[in-house]
Amino acid sequence: MSLKAGARPDKLAKPPASAHGWVRAAARFAKGREGVLLITLCLLVIVISIGSHGAFWAPVNLNNLMVSAAVTAIPAIGMTLVILTGGIDVSIGSMLGLVAAIGGKFFEAGWSIPAVAPLFCLIGAAFGLVNAAIIIGGRVPPVVATLGTLSIFRMCVFLVLGASWITMIPPELTVIFISDRLWFLPVASVMALVLMAVFAFFLRSFRLGRHIYAIGNNEEAARLAGVPVARIKLYAYTLLGMFTGIAALLTLGQSPLVQTSTGTGFELAVIAAVVLGGTELSGGRGTILGTLLGTLIVGLVNDGVVLMHIQPFWGGVLLGGIILLSIGVNQRWPGRGGEATE
Amino acid sequence: MGATGFQPGRILLLAALTALALIGFASGDPGILSGANLYSMAVFAVEIGIIAFGQTLVICGGDGGIDLSVGAIAALSQVLMGMALQAGIPWPASVLIAAAGGTVMGAVNGVLVTCFRIEPIITTLATMFVFDGLALVLTGGINIDLTTMPQTFLDLGQGSVFSLPFQLLCIYLPVFVILIALQHRTLFGRSLYLVGTNTLSARLTGIRVDRLRAWTYVIAGLLSGLAGAIGAARLGTASPTASEQANLISIAIVVLGGSSIFGGDGSVVGTAVATVLIGVVNYGLSYNDFNPIYQAGVMGIILIVAVLIENLASGRNWSAVPFLSLAKGKSSG
Repeated sequence: MSLKAGARPDKLAKPPASAHGWVRAAARFAKGREGVLLITLCLLVIVISIGSHGAFWAPVNLNNLMVSAAVTAIPAIGMTLVILTGGIDVSIGSMLGLVAAIGGKFFEAGWSIPAVAPLFCLIGAAFGLVNAAIIIGGRVPPVVATLGTLSIFRMCVFLVLGASWITMIPPELTVIFISDRLWFLPVASVMALVLMAVFAFFLRSFRLGRHIYAIGNNEEAARLAGVPVARIKLYAYTLLGMFTGIAALLTLGQSPLVQTSTGTGFELAVIAAVVLGGTELSGGRGTILGTLLGTLIVGLVNDGVVLMHIQPFWGGVLLGGIILLSIGVNQRWPGRGGEATE
Repeated sequence: MGATGFQPGRILLLAALTALALIGFASGDPGILSGANLYSMAVFAVEIGIIAFGQTLVICGGDGGIDLSVGAIAALSQVLMGMALQAGIPWPASVLIAAAGGTVMGAVNGVLVTCFRIEPIITTLATMFVFDGLALVLTGGINIDLTTMPQTFLDLGQGSVFSLPFQLLCIYLPVFVILIALQHRTLFGRSLYLVGTNTLSARLTGIRVDRLRAWTYVIAGLLSGLAGAIGAARLGTASPTASEQANLISIAIVVLGGSSIFGGDGSVVGTAVATVLIGVVNYGLSYNDFNPIYQAGVMGIILIVAVLIENLASGRNWSAVPFLSLAKGKSSG
């Protein structure tokens, strides 16, 4: 593996053999980004368990939590890839709404779930391709391009839906993805976990995955080294679109309704989860494990606010506060010396 | 690029586009050119225009500088002002509270970005959550009615001077003049261009890069707070959900106005001209009964098309390479 600049080298090393080594490894993990997140996660669980008088552990709640975390987690994988290349996509909230609206039209027309489900992926990928075309083909900075498509996609949602809502979503959708279980997890969560495992492995061990880190670290150098920069970025945005399509399908399983506001603010939750997970916006650093933990924290905060009967308006305040605190602590006192930029 | 930030060509282009938009809307319904309509256009454009000024400075500072929290700052400031007014604090002091509140919120952004080294987009995304949430918490999600407040206060957003909107003549234009001077005639403004163009050389020149950048966020906060106060006076209500679209529109205006999103280029003059264009387009669309969502959509199209055209004009050619290579199945950068 020639390009391992992206991941921290010590994570790639073999686990130490002696017991003493294990303690040291654990300490190092706790100081790193993922460790901080895991500790935050545990604290949150404890606080919410106490604050909700145990209601947190009710099976219904855990189920809801896992499903909603999965809906965020799947696009978060794509978002991690996009951000690793040094880009960003703030349009996926509107994209989710648009895919749900178009897909919902197919459901209304009486198409079956097996026929429409792949369409969700394809439509999502097509919109991802639109973003990629503007960003890579048109050389528009990602923030500007996707801020633009954020409002364009939302406009299209209105054009597709008109004044009406789509309510004819087949109830089997909920059964398949939400209520059915594999082992003890909802199908949606299993999908998210499998995809995360696949992409964590892909980023770590495949040439294409290492190229993604290389692009984020130094795009020009990567290009000169023969990495097909434009093509890989294209893949990343398209993949994010496809995953957003999957999330749209799962959203319809959660609540069988498409309205003009479907997906509003979704991009914020996903970006928050990815960034909370330690992926740096300048690109080239971040892991899928971090994204998973970030997603869980975002899900826990939202869930906890409801369970602990806090005024829902506090949700945003808490989420923003946790993002700032977690990243601020990590930046101000980095676990391993010499990693702070400049 | 970036030597002066002043772009006469861009300003002419925007002026031409504005004239074109006006002619287009007028050909649909000539009534839009009436004095009353032009007056309302100005009224609506002032608030977002003031916010866009602050955004211009933040983006000019470079290194990913961007402020997504401007709308939330405006909302929280106007809520603070509304609560102060309700508590019986005289209106000049309450408006000061809005401005001071905005300044403090901007300072929070500045400190987080420069001292804690959190990326600007993340900082302001998070503070957007926080400020928006606090505005909702403080009001319980209910608008504060200000219509019973003294007329002198409401004139802040409703009055007129020499048959022009008060806020245009007495707030927007003075702020504009001050900012032109600040950006083009002071050490601060000129240093900011260098900081945005090349952070390292700015630091080696002896410029306090962090301090300069932090100030841009403070100014953006102050201006957003001011815009929030004007908005509340105009509508006679302080709403925790006011200016929700302000971050998108202000960034669109700044980029349209010729600022580089990477910093170090652009001017408040360009921003002001772009504000006129956006104001005309926005008003024209709502005048023709377009849904506000369509307005935002058109704004998005304008934003992207403007950058695409600029890329062509400046030699950053479009590239079909990745797509062609996909079709051929060959790899090429």
